[in-house]
Amino acid sequence: MKKNDLKSMGKSFTKYILIIGALLILLDFTFHRHEYFSFAEIYGFPAFFGFISFVFIVLLGKWLRKFLMRKEDYYDQ
Amino acid sequence: MISNIIPGLIMILTSFLLPTIPQYFRHPAMLLSVGLSALSLFNGYGTFLEWDVLGLNLILYQSDSLTFPFSIIFHIAAVLVIIFSWHSKNLMEHMATLAYAGSAIGALHAGDFFSLFIWWEATALTSVFIVFAGNTKAARDAAMRYLIIQVSSGVLLLIGACLLLYQTGNHNLTVLDLTTDFGIFIFIAFGIKAAFPFLNGWLQDSYPESSVTGTVALSAFTTKLAIYALARTFPGTDSLIWIGAIMTAFPVFFAVIENDLRRVLSFSLNNQLGFMVVGIGIGTELSLNGTVAHAFVHIIYKALLFMSMGAVLYRAGTTKASELGGLYKYMPFTTIFCIIGAMSISAFPLFSGFVAKSLIMSSLGGMGMVLIYFILFFASAGVLEHSGIKIPYFAFFAHERKSKVKEAPINMLIAMGIAAVLCIGIGVFPKYLYQILPYTVEYQPYTIDHVISQLQLLVFAIIAFLFLVKFKLYPSEIRSIVLNSDWFYRKMLPGIGKPLFKKIGLLTELIYENLRFFFKLILNKSQKFSNSSYIKVTTPSFAATILISILFIMLLIVLI
Repeated sequence: MKKNDLKSMGKSFTKYILIIGALLILLDFTFHRHEYFSFAEIYGFPAFFGFISFVFIVLLGKWLRKFLMRKEDYYDQ
Repeated sequence: MISNIIPGLIMILTSFLLPTIPQYFRHPAMLLSVGLSALSLFNGYGTFLEWDVLGLNLILYQSDSLTFPFSIIFHIAAVLVIIFSWHSKNLMEHMATLAYAGSAIGALHAGDFFSLFIWWEATALTSVFIVFAGNTKAARDAAMRYLIIQVSSGVLLLIGACLLLYQTGNHNLTVLDLTTDFGIFIFIAFGIKAAFPFLNGWLQDSYPESSVTGTVALSAFTTKLAIYALARTFPGTDSLIWIGAIMTAFPVFFAVIENDLRRVLSFSLNNQLGFMVVGIGIGTELSLNGTVAHAFVHIIYKALLFMSMGAVLYRAGTTKASELGGLYKYMPFTTIFCIIGAMSISAFPLFSGFVAKSLIMSSLGGMGMVLIYFILFFASAGVLEHSGIKIPYFAFFAHERKSKVKEAPINMLIAMGIAAVLCIGIGVFPKYLYQILPYTVEYQPYTIDHVISQLQLLVFAIIAFLFLVKFKLYPSEIRSIVLNSDWFYRKMLPGIGKPLFKKIGLLTELIYENLRFFFKLILNKSQKFSNSSYIKVTTPSFAATILISILFIMLLIVLI
């Protein structure tokens, strides 16, 4: 049990975050969310935008490693 | 009268006295000097000290609604840094830190470009010793580069100030624009310290090389002084909106793949400055309030994050993500404080970042700047990625740790605790922050629309993170460095310059060789001539032959 501390923490964290996420989407249906731009008022728009942005940032960053990543002693050579 | 003493000056004087004070009393003395300097906050607004020198009227001490919030937060930051470094016996770093904070506070209260220049250089010269105090070869090298860049910024500022005085006869701090040459010089000078795109390399280069405590001090002052200066001289400059937007978006990608967590925080600092720069570019009362509010809360949560990583460095000996993980068991308080900092910078409702960033977002939305609005919204997801998740995740969780480490020393916990309380306090009671902003604006950050919108963004970005980790798409930690704009002067310029100078060297050597051969020839001939056996009576001496030859060559040159 001790060894799996982090794993079980991760699991329960995932569970709660998913519940909160679902609640936030449901909440969106209960009232009209006013935004500065009308297309952002679509149900779940910020959620969608957040998810896509995050994936985009991580995957593009990972791809950029090809060009930007160097060994730690790069500047000492 | 105490009201005529420049705020911060007493801190600088105290820093010079520190070597004479016994180790045990140094930190109390430093705190006392900050307290005495902070008395200036009760002076109200106005001009308190002027000095006529060399026909110039220097305004050494003035304060108004823009200097006031910056002055408060600079004093708070100085207190946090002093408490955080209470355990340290590094005299040079203490002296540099106190003088640096004092110079930054002095700079806020300068009323003309020449006084500002003096303080501007003072912050550079004092802070470079903080980088030096990192006391590794990497730190010393970074310090030299840092000094060159910072002093260059000062020189540009001085050129701008001289041109301004020459062309307009005025040198007081006023609103400038980019249609004038002095405006451009001053803009670039400020831009270097505000870490504009491609002028930012020094920040990520030097801050992470500094000591456990030094980075905390560095993170607070220089860049926010530049933000203050931009807000004072270039409010409403359109190009700042785009510059700021690029600053919010680009560092995000670098932060994703950077391995050193203190360097990740330096990229994150750059991204936060972007939000402030956008606010200055919009230039409305609401957006300028947003910039000041953001600078205010940012100094606290960024210091908190740097303190938590400082504590990790102090106890675990590194801040490389590839070497860390699982520290939550051994450093529970540091973990909690770091998460509070992470939630503040990510702008979770009820944390300080939310109430400040909302002002800038609202002013963008109100003006219908849809593209910039969504670049900043996108960058908010980026902030969550690198500062909200990456920092606490890789340092404290990620995987179990094999060797034990101790919790941070009590003084570090106190400093982090104060910062954490401020982060939540400002988030819950934003009206106290709004009261000290430059303009009176009625603003309510906690509307249901706004809260739900922000929570959806953040929670689903976290879900995206869990999704990426689950499917092993999240980039693993690799011992490496990431190229940044300092590459241009650390690798590219030497790359071009070294072979070029080598070629020039070879060429000069060739010319030199030929000349030597030529002179040897003359020498030999004249020697032969003077020694020749068949001319006995009127042979010119050896020296005379050489002189005549030289005269002959000179005659030839003149004729040509």
